[in-house]
Amino acid sequence: MDAKLVRELEHVLGPAGVLAGTEDLLLYEYDGSIDEGRPDCIVFPRSTNDVVEIVKLANRFDVPIVGRGSGTGLSGGAIARRGGIIVTFSRMKRILAIDIVNQRAVVEPGVVNLDLTRAVEKDGLYFAPDPSSQKACTIGGNVSENSGGPHTLAYGVTSSHVTGLELVLPDAQVLRVGSSTIETPGYDLTGLVVGSEGTFALVTEITVKLSRLPEQVGTLLGVFDTVDDATDTVADITSRGITPAACEMLDAWTLRAVEAFVHAGFPLDSAAVLLIEVEGVREAAEAQSAEIADVCRLHHAREVRRAADGRERELLWKGRKNAFGAIGRLSPSYYVMDGVIPRTKLTVTLRHIAEVGKRHGLQIGNVFHAGDGNLHPLILFDQRDPVQLASAIAAAGEIMKFCVEMGGALTGEHGIGMEKNELMPLMFSDADLDLMRRVRAAFNPTGRLNPDKVLPLGKGCGETRVNVAQVPVGGIT
Amino acid sequence: MPTASPVASRLAELVGGEHVLTASTVCAEYAVDGLEPQAVLRPGSSSEIADILRFAAAERLAVIPMGGRTKLGIGMPPKRFDLALDLSRMTRVLAYDPRDLTCGVEAGVHFADLNRLLAAERQFLPLAPAFGTRATLGGIIAAGADSPLRHAYGSTRDFLLGVEFITGDAVSSKSGGRVVKNVTGYDLHKLLIGSLGTLAVITRLNFRTFPLPPQQATFVATFASADAALAWCAALAKSPLEPKIVEVLDPGTARIFAPAATRVPRDGWSVVVTAAGHRAVVDRHARDLAHLASEKHAAEFVALNDDDGDAEQHALLQCISEFPNMVLETCPGAAIFRIAVLPSAMPEFLRRVGAVTERDISQRPAPGDKTPEHKTSERQTLERQTLHRATLVRVSGVVYIALLPTTNNANEHMNGVASQSTSTSATERVGDLELVQACCGLIDLGIAMGLRPVIERCPLPVKRALAARGRSIWPPSGAEHVLAERLKKVFDPQEILAPGRFHGGI
Repeated sequence: MDAKLVRELEHVLGPAGVLAGTEDLLLYEYDGSIDEGRPDCIVFPRSTNDVVEIVKLANRFDVPIVGRGSGTGLSGGAIARRGGIIVTFSRMKRILAIDIVNQRAVVEPGVVNLDLTRAVEKDGLYFAPDPSSQKACTIGGNVSENSGGPHTLAYGVTSSHVTGLELVLPDAQVLRVGSSTIETPGYDLTGLVVGSEGTFALVTEITVKLSRLPEQVGTLLGVFDTVDDATDTVADITSRGITPAACEMLDAWTLRAVEAFVHAGFPLDSAAVLLIEVEGVREAAEAQSAEIADVCRLHHAREVRRAADGRERELLWKGRKNAFGAIGRLSPSYYVMDGVIPRTKLTVTLRHIAEVGKRHGLQIGNVFHAGDGNLHPLILFDQRDPVQLASAIAAAGEIMKFCVEMGGALTGEHGIGMEKNELMPLMFSDADLDLMRRVRAAFNPTGRLNPDKVLPLGKGCGETRVNVAQVPVGGIT
Repeated sequence: MPTASPVASRLAELVGGEHVLTASTVCAEYAVDGLEPQAVLRPGSSSEIADILRFAAAERLAVIPMGGRTKLGIGMPPKRFDLALDLSRMTRVLAYDPRDLTCGVEAGVHFADLNRLLAAERQFLPLAPAFGTRATLGGIIAAGADSPLRHAYGSTRDFLLGVEFITGDAVSSKSGGRVVKNVTGYDLHKLLIGSLGTLAVITRLNFRTFPLPPQQATFVATFASADAALAWCAALAKSPLEPKIVEVLDPGTARIFAPAATRVPRDGWSVVVTAAGHRAVVDRHARDLAHLASEKHAAEFVALNDDDGDAEQHALLQCISEFPNMVLETCPGAAIFRIAVLPSAMPEFLRRVGAVTERDISQRPAPGDKTPEHKTSERQTLERQTLHRATLVRVSGVVYIALLPTTNNANEHMNGVASQSTSTSATERVGDLELVQACCGLIDLGIAMGLRPVIERCPLPVKRALAARGRSIWPPSGAEHVLAERLKKVFDPQEILAPGRFHGGI
């Protein structure tokens, strides 16, 4: 890295606002995924104006820029794949405005997801997107990745909860899109930018909707002796028109790993558990809880437990939300996947995943959002062993391909990033990808912002992880 | 069908002669803001659409895609218009698995037909759009239509899962998918919502469907003023209740609805609340809403939750969904604003709307009114004010305001008699001038309050008069417009798709 650039950045941000030492850079070369990339320096802006100055310097010195929140992402979105400057938003963490009456908040991108909920829950409100990492991940990161979480089954992913953004474009121009109202005339630029994985603009301010806490929450744990019974239960709940707020599944292997760590009370000898939540007015929560318990029993649930109070509920959720952490105790590395399938294809897909694991000699756990068909197979391996790494990546590719063949998608909430960009042809034709490339260029013409993410790198440049020679065109039909 | 012109005969090669219509009577039916196309094309497949667009781009012929032709009046008059692309043959339901609660349809599928299909499985699409019997799903999405159900189910962007479309340079493309949760690739389909066909021709839409609630009931609480009605809505928002629909009607709207919705009082501001779900949930809403109404001194509270009420409930909800349709049937010359307003700003906005429209309209005496303006009693002022304006508030944050010109005798309109007589062009001009002034007043008020008012419907002369005054039915665009222009270039480099209709002259 050009020492002159570091000096100029320090001039703008102060010496404490720039990191360029090797040991510092090492800490920023990874995120929650299995990918890595070394940045040349890390900067910590305090304002939109700081961001503008950083972008101008990046342009002058012709280096890439990558935005970053807490680094909890699961697809390499915040990794500096081509080096350059990582813009970390951890100092832009002010909640700028809370509007209780209109159920809106204006936040800087570095505000931690759960901190916003904590700031408004005394007024009966909360921020609905609830990724498992919500204690650490930032709302800026949620906006970039269009993050989900268990309760997006009922309340939608991040884009349903964002009404306006302030952007710094790669040419350093500051623009506002959307507003605080529920709609804004003109093209839905806000909807386009949310989920663009930091490749369109750096987001410096976010206007979000706040949701009203429900009167009653019912949390149920269904315990099953076979995985098929659990997945059939999910399909049956959906087809009966019951609308849980969340419907999560943990398989036997995962729930044992979690239980050893969290002691949530998951029965160790069961094949699968479903964690199901219903919310709403008291009468709705009660009626739906009763219906769900009936459906579980109809599909041979060994036991249906109902959380008696908030403490029991929290414990059950602690088991779910710390699942990845629990796995981390057992394996040197694990690869969290994020495929989506139509909900009716759960049973067949889980069988396929087990078969893929067996064939590659890899342990694969499953903990996922069953209600919306968003799978999170966890592949355990040792990253230091190149053979295991290669098998893990091959197994992941096979599973993703199967999801797409089932009529599904490559990612439900973690994003494409640098993890799955070479798999995009599984869902999209060359023409689709070319149009996406041109839309990105409307924002980011030089590709300086978060380079080499989301879209495949094109033949010949960059490594292709998985052989995708047979590309079905028309992934959504 | 004679296809005399060389353009028509080349188009006939693309879609078949019987699907190229050039008769002037037919073309007149497809006019957009007075501009008639040279030909109407009725393609039967996406590949035919791509062929048409390739031809049109090469010849620089302007194309406007359309479905049920119920919302062609939205937008500014097109700069050019050569080919009407009628998607009414694209009516296949391509995928529907009730157990997945997802469906995929061609753009020309009628909303009513899809909902009938879904209803057989006790499911529905959470939309109750205007022109519900004729509107197509492609048109609903392209026009950015909303409906009272957005209160509980969000807007179309929340349940539109993916779209296949063809860009202005004839590239067949898609984004999104058909599963309910998906962040794969850029959400290009969100751009198409409300784009009025200026970016691409939508060919297929994938939606999330929802289970039909087992029970539903509607309640009407009526108040003397807008402030009281909105205060009640604010109290309702703070309660644990979770209604599906909350809409406020002013007396003008109540009168327009009156022939169908007989139990809505005509001389107050009525809040219409629909609850749905299990019987116990609906009963709970019935109890709590009645309590809340008496607590806040509603002038009247009507529960439409018995067997008799059911027909009335459906009639009322139908009126609310069809608000623009009913306004235009009552008064074809009306202008209808659509304005997003935060709930807290709504009371002040409505107060000031009253002041602005009254001031603009009270310049001349009402028809047959001999009383000088300043001597009218309060009652008469209310009477006349409500003759000129009809308001529908979606409490989640959108207000529709219809301004009804009175030149053709408003009283007659308000009694539900649509004026069929062709008024002389002179009176039209007087009425339009009055309407233009009122529209400008409302636009200025909105902008002064930091809002972005859109006139969704108004007569063509009003659009022209606005343009002559350097205004538009669209609010002024901001710095972000540069992005919209760049995106237009990406999707439609030849500017052949509905040029000039959209925000900022796109």
